[in-house]
Amino acid sequence: MFFFKQSKKKKQMAKNQKKQNQNQIQSQNQQQQAFLSTDLDQNLQELQNIYKNCMDVVFRQFQIGGKTKAALIYIDGLANIEEIDAGVLTPLMKENHAKENTDQFIHVNDILEQKLTVSKVKRVQTTTECIEQISGGNPVLLIDQQSEGFALGLSNPEKRSIEEPGGESVVRGPREGFTESLGTNLSLLRRKIRSPQLKAKSIKIGEYTQTEVVISYIEGIAEQTLIQEVEARLNRIKLDGILETSYIEELIEDNPYSPFPQILNTERPDVVAASLLEGRVAILQDGTPFVLVVPVSFYSLLQSSEDYYERSLISTATRWLRYAFLLVSLLLPSLYVAILTFHQEMLPTTLLVTIAASREQIPFPALVEALLMEIVFEALREAGLRLPRQAGAAVSIVGALVIGQAAIQAGLASAPLIMVVALTGIASFTIPRYTAGIALRMLRFPMIFLAGTLGLLGIMLGLLMIVTHMATLRSFGVPYLSPMAPMQGREIKDVLMRAPWWKFNTRPRLTGDHKNIQRQGPNQKPGPDYGDDKTSKDQGGS
Amino acid sequence: MIEKGKISAAQMGMMMYPTIIATAILLVPAITARHAKQDMWLSPLWASLIGFLTVYITVRLHELYPEKTIIEYSEDILGKFLGKVIGLIFLFYYLYANGIIIREYGEFVVGNFLFYTPLVVVMGSMVLACSFAVRNGVEVIGRLAQMIVPIVIILIVINIILLIPDMEVANMFPIMEKGIMPSLKGSIIPQGWFSEFLLIAFLLPYVADRNKGKRWGMISVAAVMLTLSLVNIAVLFVLGGITDRFTYPAFSAVRYISIADFLEHIEAIVMALWVAGIFMKVAVFYYALVLGTAQWMNLEDYRPIIFPMGFLILLFAVWSAPSLMELTHYLGSTSPFYRISIQVGIPLLLLFVAKWRKRANNQKLTQQG
Repeated sequence: MFFFKQSKKKKQMAKNQKKQNQNQIQSQNQQQQAFLSTDLDQNLQELQNIYKNCMDVVFRQFQIGGKTKAALIYIDGLANIEEIDAGVLTPLMKENHAKENTDQFIHVNDILEQKLTVSKVKRVQTTTECIEQISGGNPVLLIDQQSEGFALGLSNPEKRSIEEPGGESVVRGPREGFTESLGTNLSLLRRKIRSPQLKAKSIKIGEYTQTEVVISYIEGIAEQTLIQEVEARLNRIKLDGILETSYIEELIEDNPYSPFPQILNTERPDVVAASLLEGRVAILQDGTPFVLVVPVSFYSLLQSSEDYYERSLISTATRWLRYAFLLVSLLLPSLYVAILTFHQEMLPTTLLVTIAASREQIPFPALVEALLMEIVFEALREAGLRLPRQAGAAVSIVGALVIGQAAIQAGLASAPLIMVVALTGIASFTIPRYTAGIALRMLRFPMIFLAGTLGLLGIMLGLLMIVTHMATLRSFGVPYLSPMAPMQGREIKDVLMRAPWWKFNTRPRLTGDHKNIQRQGPNQKPGPDYGDDKTSKDQGGS
Repeated sequence: MIEKGKISAAQMGMMMYPTIIATAILLVPAITARHAKQDMWLSPLWASLIGFLTVYITVRLHELYPEKTIIEYSEDILGKFLGKVIGLIFLFYYLYANGIIIREYGEFVVGNFLFYTPLVVVMGSMVLACSFAVRNGVEVIGRLAQMIVPIVIILIVINIILLIPDMEVANMFPIMEKGIMPSLKGSIIPQGWFSEFLLIAFLLPYVADRNKGKRWGMISVAAVMLTLSLVNIAVLFVLGGITDRFTYPAFSAVRYISIADFLEHIEAIVMALWVAGIFMKVAVFYYALVLGTAQWMNLEDYRPIIFPMGFLILLFAVWSAPSLMELTHYLGSTSPFYRISIQVGIPLLLLFVAKWRKRANNQKLTQQG
């Protein structure tokens, strides 16, 4: 009893402390809300207090024209030092004020209009704004006797160049990928969609990281309700920090316990642009090349951007191949187990004899054998991803031995099973979205169990449970299995086939009232024009 | 309302299709063949009349009480006490019917594929899977129907195409050798299945596009009729005069499929896909039962009674018959009268009383006015 009481007390104390901490944070916030004073020294004192023990923050004090005191505050490495020298310090310090103007005070506007050779300048009035700008990499210029400072757009953080995304390569199509810089990513989008209707709303997420997150959409195409829902869900996030869009993804998903991703992530600007044109909303985050797209359906996770760049017939065939291999990646090992355990009669006799002969040496039942090898395969895949590049070759050699001849000779696995495992592995990589592929790969383990206990019936029951689960999922209000269930006649042509572009006359139905649905002009099907075709051969000859 | 989901009329039609087909293609062809011989393909045509009648009655009742299921409006029509009694009859019937469906399925699977698996495990796993679907409401069952029905239809068509080499058209002749009576007699059993269309009384209140409800109900009946006729013809062509000696003629016919010595013995795959149909059937019956019970007991939510009901269904499946022989005998003899009197007779009575009361009310109003 006594112990309990004590622990209760402790809890209460912890609670009180929490409250105090909160109060402290609040008071700090209030302090930072304070406006800048006209006294430069006081402002500097305040900022130096805030940036105590931050050796990367530079406070450069100088005098404008040898008269007025001023200070430039920036973070070393984030700001472009050469431009600070050339565009700010040189013109201001070399200015000979006394000759031209006898006035004691300098007008802020004069400096802005005549001296600063910097294109992007923003006025800041409060300490909070100052800190925001400095931490964002923009130097802040404070001048004595002025109650406002200038934030100079001279930030120059380290950037990677634009490269082709490794996870989503294409044979035909644009080869640029997003980078870690938000500005670059937005510019990539803007270069594809030039209309001013492309909007980008910014919010800050993360108590300490203060990460910039941008909601992008095309006004007039994206439903207003959808945009509001995305904003509401993003505004609800209260975290210390977000380092990758997957943090956001997990926090705004409809059903976080599902193995299936309900939000698309991509590194490709063309995928995002195409989604925006369909009325979806993109969420970009500073510091990661992965952009989220909502809402999505299961079928859109099975589509590659290249489907739309290839000829429509070829893409249709590719899609069906992908659907077939999706089933293979989910079901092949369990079918192997089910058939060998319960339904041997399904195999043609010759094949059955071969398999039986190769399984003669194996001490395990088919269920154990399949589980073992599938787990080994998953481990090899994981190891291949994580190992340092220099060790990669070693893994592939060992892997070839483990899942291969050596395993068969050691009598641990049969040759047909090795085939099954290899085929399953290949099949799971035909799914263009890694997250969707991995969900199905993981689900095949319970399926193997079901196959080992109830045979084909178990597989079917497992499949029905999976489909039931998928039918309950929604991604921002859009049923996960649409347009198949609930069926939407107009959009099936983008699932069962990849219709030619002149067939896509309407935008997909997502949420809301779906008013602005016309996507393109009608009757764009090309064909020989027998009327007044000037380029045709017959007329050219005459 | 307890159920907040909405389905489309097309989804309702698609839900009903496997609900009738799934068990009808199992035992019915043999029972029909016993009475109708080579005219067995005609029997579904006559039987479907009951289906159309059931849909008609249900839709008319639905028009009178658009927001309510049959459990709710039977109270409005017959008064509190009698209405509750009628509701109880329906609920008990659906509990029993559900048990029989599960039993048919279990007997079939254990008898043909999983010889060493206990019957209760096979039946229990199905009830569990279905309870998962029922938990998520009518919307999800509707979506599942849209995923499953195309597969079921493709399965039936492909099987019939693969059986073409084994077909003997002469098995069909002479058509109507002994007049129309044998086929009419043979239609009595399928009538019991067609009367199951009463289930739309539980779905119609949640259909979003109400005016299409009747149309899709009728389309569904026609589709079931066509499918059953087609299956009966195919079975007749393959098996001929001995059809009635098989317990599951359609599946016995599938065993004949053998293309190029490779594509043979596909009955396990056929069974697996057929399980999807049974899943739909049990889910719809289960849903009607659970929803009806919740409404009958004035519960706020039907979810808490799903698992207890599932357990009860499993028990009823075990109790419903001592053996497959008894089950087939019951289905082939007394069951259609029981099923039709509850699923067509009582609704018809309700409709008459409702109409009569409305007329009486109108007269009263005109007299007062």
